[in-house]
Amino acid sequence: MSIPFTLNGTPITWDGSATDRLLDVLRAEFTCTGVKCGCNEGECGACSVILDGQLVNSCMVAMGRVWDSEITTIEGFRETEAFQILDRTFAETGAVQCGFCTPGMIIAAACLLQRNPSPTAAEIREALSGNLCRCTGYNAIISAVDRAAKEGCRP
Amino acid sequence: MKNGFVPQTLTEALAIRRREQVTPYGGGTDLMAEHHRAGTYLFLHRVPELTRITEDDTYLRLGACCTFTQVVNHPATPAILKEAISRIAAPAIRNLGTVGGNIGNGSAKADSVLIFFALDAKLRLMNADGERILPIRAFYKGRKELDLAEDELIVEVLLPRQMPERYIYHKVGARAALAISRLSFAGLWSVEDGKLTACATAFGAIEQMVVRLPEVDEILIGVPVAQLHRVRSQYLQAYSAKLNPIDGRISALYRKSVCLNLLEDFLDQIQSAE
Amino acid sequence: MDSISKSVVKLDHGPKVRGEALYAPDHPMEGVLHGKLLRSDRAYARLLSVQVPELPEGYVFADWRDVPGENVVLLILEDTPVFATDTVEFLGDPIGIVAGPNEAVVDQILSKIQVEYEDLPPVLDPETSETIFFDYSHQQGDVDQAFAQADRIYEETFRTGYQEHGYLETNGLTAIPSDGKLTVHGSIQCPYYVHKALKKALGVEHEAVQVIQDVTGGGFGGKEDYPSILACQVAVAALKAGRPVRTIYSRREDMAYTSKRHPSRSRYKVAVKDGRVTAMDIDILYNAGAYTTMSMVVLQRGVICANGVYHIPNLRVRGRSAKTNTVPNGAFRGFGAPQTFFSAEMIMAHIATDLGIDPLTFKEAHVARHGDPTSTGGKYHFPVPLLEMSEKLTREVDYWNKRKEYDTQSGRYRRGIGFSFSFHGAGFTGSGERDIIKAVAALQKYPDGKVEILTAGTEMGQGLLTTFAKIVAKELHLPLNQIIIALPDTDRVPDSGPTVASRSVMVVGELLRRAAARLKAEWVDGEAQRFEEKFQEPDFVIPFNIETFQGDAYPTYSWGAHCVELEIDTFTGEHKVLGAWGCYDVGTPIDMTVIVGQMEGGLLQGIGYSHMEQMVCDRRGCIRSNSYSDYTMPTSADVPNMGVMIHVEEYPEGPYGAKGAGELPIVGIPGAYISALEQALGADVHHIPFSMEDTLSKWTEVQTL
Repeated sequence: MSIPFTLNGTPITWDGSATDRLLDVLRAEFTCTGVKCGCNEGECGACSVILDGQLVNSCMVAMGRVWDSEITTIEGFRETEAFQILDRTFAETGAVQCGFCTPGMIIAAACLLQRNPSPTAAEIREALSGNLCRCTGYNAIISAVDRAAKEGCRP
Repeated sequence: MKNGFVPQTLTEALAIRRREQVTPYGGGTDLMAEHHRAGTYLFLHRVPELTRITEDDTYLRLGACCTFTQVVNHPATPAILKEAISRIAAPAIRNLGTVGGNIGNGSAKADSVLIFFALDAKLRLMNADGERILPIRAFYKGRKELDLAEDELIVEVLLPRQMPERYIYHKVGARAALAISRLSFAGLWSVEDGKLTACATAFGAIEQMVVRLPEVDEILIGVPVAQLHRVRSQYLQAYSAKLNPIDGRISALYRKSVCLNLLEDFLDQIQSAE
Repeated sequence: MDSISKSVVKLDHGPKVRGEALYAPDHPMEGVLHGKLLRSDRAYARLLSVQVPELPEGYVFADWRDVPGENVVLLILEDTPVFATDTVEFLGDPIGIVAGPNEAVVDQILSKIQVEYEDLPPVLDPETSETIFFDYSHQQGDVDQAFAQADRIYEETFRTGYQEHGYLETNGLTAIPSDGKLTVHGSIQCPYYVHKALKKALGVEHEAVQVIQDVTGGGFGGKEDYPSILACQVAVAALKAGRPVRTIYSRREDMAYTSKRHPSRSRYKVAVKDGRVTAMDIDILYNAGAYTTMSMVVLQRGVICANGVYHIPNLRVRGRSAKTNTVPNGAFRGFGAPQTFFSAEMIMAHIATDLGIDPLTFKEAHVARHGDPTSTGGKYHFPVPLLEMSEKLTREVDYWNKRKEYDTQSGRYRRGIGFSFSFHGAGFTGSGERDIIKAVAALQKYPDGKVEILTAGTEMGQGLLTTFAKIVAKELHLPLNQIIIALPDTDRVPDSGPTVASRSVMVVGELLRRAAARLKAEWVDGEAQRFEEKFQEPDFVIPFNIETFQGDAYPTYSWGAHCVELEIDTFTGEHKVLGAWGCYDVGTPIDMTVIVGQMEGGLLQGIGYSHMEQMVCDRRGCIRSNSYSDYTMPTSADVPNMGVMIHVEEYPEGPYGAKGAGELPIVGIPGAYISALEQALGADVHHIPFSMEDTLSKWTEVQTL
């Protein structure tokens, strides 16, 4: 029996081991290389994706868990209008430095704004707290999310 | 499906659990981090009985595969549990991680488990033949040693609806988020007519199992809050004699000092709250 | 503000934010073998035999016997082997590499290889090491006489710990053999360093090696020397297999076995007469680890900065770098300076407190002034704006009132506010730019009027593609979209030197500006034109002599003033940083957003270094803190209020007045952090990182006194 799921709006039936990691499958078999592997243990958020509307670390998800689920990666989210706003505000504040954490940050920001369209700075910090960034000191990222919220970003 | 089962009902899940060599998969956040990718997983996220929160007269019943996010968002969840859960890892982990998984992993650092101990929660376990209910303290037999048979699943966590009114919770972690507890404390109490009528404390991440000493908390029960200073040193000494923290990344000495500081603070808080 | 400082959208923003940028692990894997290293599990041992099981078809094992050139990774010296031969010198020392099409099979093969060792006694403590890799001394004035005449003499010892770079992308690269040529692409900070190392290990000529930088997920110095080592190993595997081989480190592998900031011990003896510091006698020891890698130049910077920003008329500094059987330590943002700056800031603060003077007042009275001699008898040729900066910063953060308020407090939570000064000598230490690097940068104009920037400068997140392009566009009066700039490929770019030492904008950026000025003057429409510029040492520089450590170690300096405010929980020892602020002079910011981003990022790394980033090596010589859960770097929930102020002292030899920027913020933060902590604790502190446990134990000690 194969595993049915939806990836960025496309129905998939996937044949493989239920214990394989979503992260590996996304990168190797669906060329979703915007989903990055930073730590292998749910401690950095570089592999963030949206699973049934919720932010998750794809390194922490076995393929059996995605059975009948919907997954959105940066490759799907970047086609949305909400992405355009985050793209712009991230550019304006200089929130992207090395960029390795960025797709995960965007996904985490999208999940926050989806459930909380006008977050406080503290709520932004909390929402991004599983996404490590070693370059920026986070200030620019927090400002970018704040600006995006104020500009009506509604993922 | 290769190496996995995704049952749709509890009956189906229990039948597979009895028939096959499987590892129950709640949120997967411990399993996946430990790189166990061999073997077969029993994915429980589609089982309705395991993924809902219900209430009856006696208990708030948390399905074992309720995620931390689900528990935090439920209106009936006690405040102390919400506070402890909101300090677990980070949002993405809380969206996956489950209360049953936190218990089943068997770690004394599990942040929700500390609260289950402090609240004297019970666990409902089932196999294909039936169920048994036991206090969480009895479920833990040692480090990573659980009273769970090969064919059993943790089905529900039962939180007594009658619980002390006030609490303090303190988690010592290395940072504000994504922190594994280095020490955690939960203390709950109730006061009626100026006397302590209930008191329950627990420490996490200091020994192989969560520390819960009702016989020591008993010292405080019935004592008028205004007279608390009279039993203060008795209580602290009794606690001190029983605490035996392990040496690890942080020392046993540090752990013990902090425990006693937090207990002192607990007593101060009880007094100042009145 | 110079118009160039106005921020633009970074050139590499789009592909990164969209997840389209290809980092080392993101390139297609078709036809590429997975390479994984066989490592020593002993800190020090004789290597008796390596028994490799029979390999399945398509799998190879390579070790030192397969290195076609010399079994040497050429860094500065030549002691780092590509693969261990007779001995292993640290736990993790590479012995060989297995490559093949299936990663799981490669892992299986590795687990079946039997290595026979004869254990030797490892040296883990640099204090007991008999192998001193480097030993430098320098002196000004008459130190002995100053001590003889002193009113008071202070002696204190300071220690600093490891710091892990923690870049989000681990080390990784791909080696591709083809007819007569080997190409390496990957996460690389210094393509020509890798190129030079490959030539020697493979025993080939310049043209036979090509190195290309992939989009790189952070460096901070951690990809300065290390990729040269990994590239040689992966290249040997690729040549043996006759197929491309890629190695991507796991986080644990990267943390345990690649370079870190040198742990240090610094002993300060200070003479005070009439309330002023008259002399310092300083002894510094850095733990180099098993091989020399970058330790020579890291130590040079450390000893040169040992007196901090202060003018100390009589100064004697000795610094040594000792071998231990631990992972080799290397370059990390600040490059030897954060260790001694911490010590210098703390000793100054401690003396001030002992004399009953506020530390900042005392420090201000000792800062070097424009025209003063440097620690090596060079000269501060340009204005030293530290006093203006401290004035601005203290006003902004209400330093004096807070400092006074926190002097008297009670209760469970205690606060403190601390201040520190730092500088960063911009560019290579000593005569490195002139004698070793000899940077060349070029501009290629195409017939359509577009201009391509050709340098070896790498983009690691610090914004170099953008700042280079802005400099050239401004000089040529062209819009930014007429400028082409790509990640470096050694087949196409001249060697403009490594992207290190906060040198790129100041040194290479100026070469580009000059090339652009020439191109503009000689511009011919419709024709291809190429202009190259070579580094020339500015005339004012007092030549540095590495034997005597005399002269200008740096042509100019970037300046920093820092303030940290924090609160401790005296029941648990937990810290909460309430605010962190910096005022920085990096000359003209080439892009304000880029500069502020660099400063904020460095501030937070410095906060981590001061407290929460704990990394320990156990009695086996094994790095225990080898994951992101064990080695805790600040999260967004740990970020305090951060504020960055910019002060501009233009540097006439830098493009539009720019100086070095990237390293400056981390150099000074520990001094401010620990000063704040000392005020909260009411006690002196002598090491970083200063943990919760250290805090509680110090608090308990103070209370029982």
